[in-house]
Amino acid sequence: MINFVIFFFFAALAVIFALMVILHRNPVVSALSLVVSLFSLAVMYILLEVPFLAALQVIIYAGAIMVLFLFVIMLLNLQRRREETTRPVQQFLGFTASAAFAVALIYYLAKYAVMTLPNGPFLADARTIGIRLFETYFFPFEMVSILLLAAIVGALLLSARGLPSPDPERSEGANAPEVPGR
Amino acid sequence: MIPTQWFLILGAVLFCIGVCGVLTRRNGITIFMSIELMVNAVNLTFLAYARQFHQLHGVIFVFFIMAIAAAEAAVGLAIFISLFHHRETIDVDEANLMRW
Repeated sequence: MINFVIFFFFAALAVIFALMVILHRNPVVSALSLVVSLFSLAVMYILLEVPFLAALQVIIYAGAIMVLFLFVIMLLNLQRRREETTRPVQQFLGFTASAAFAVALIYYLAKYAVMTLPNGPFLADARTIGIRLFETYFFPFEMVSILLLAAIVGALLLSARGLPSPDPERSEGANAPEVPGR
Repeated sequence: MIPTQWFLILGAVLFCIGVCGVLTRRNGITIFMSIELMVNAVNLTFLAYARQFHQLHGVIFVFFIMAIAAAEAAVGLAIFISLFHHRETIDVDEANLMRW
């Protein structure tokens, strides 16, 4: 019984703060609401008996990714500038299209996705996931590490102020003050 | 235990909120946050089905999706920083060089 109370409380929290993300004009408020929404999704993961991924959700999403978002918002000083609204026709079409999509999805889920509850506990702790990850999914795991490396390099390249110019003297002169450690 | 379809419905609602955010906002970072919301809704769906069918594949897929979302956030935000340096705005309607 307590499970249902927790589910509804955090589901309502997730939906309300998700709405806040898309309706609020200030990006800082949006980012903080998204943190709350992701945190309530972590509670959902615990209810789904995957506590390991709940911990990952809090650490990676609510911790790392959202800190990155807030950092960029603060860096670009976006919290002060007001975002102008989109055209009314775009607002209307966006809201009606997504509402219609939601109604259709909920209708078909409620109609056809009625499943009996699985029996027995679902064993998905860190140990089981780790064994599976390093046996069956070893190759994708390594690919993901390469992808993350590529993302680091790409992010550094893209966010550098001005790409290094092909002229070696000029590029050294331009880059020298920014890299004091070299 | 909570029935699986409730989680699916919650995931569907969050996904549609994310779609709405992408369609109706102009601020690039808010659009990006809506995309993160959609990714999380899909994660919830994956985990609901993983528990329903007692399969670890869904859990591991979510693990990979989280890693890819981290990479995506890093590169995407770097693109927005670069855009801001060049255009002084992150309004996606202003960045229309490759539009037509």
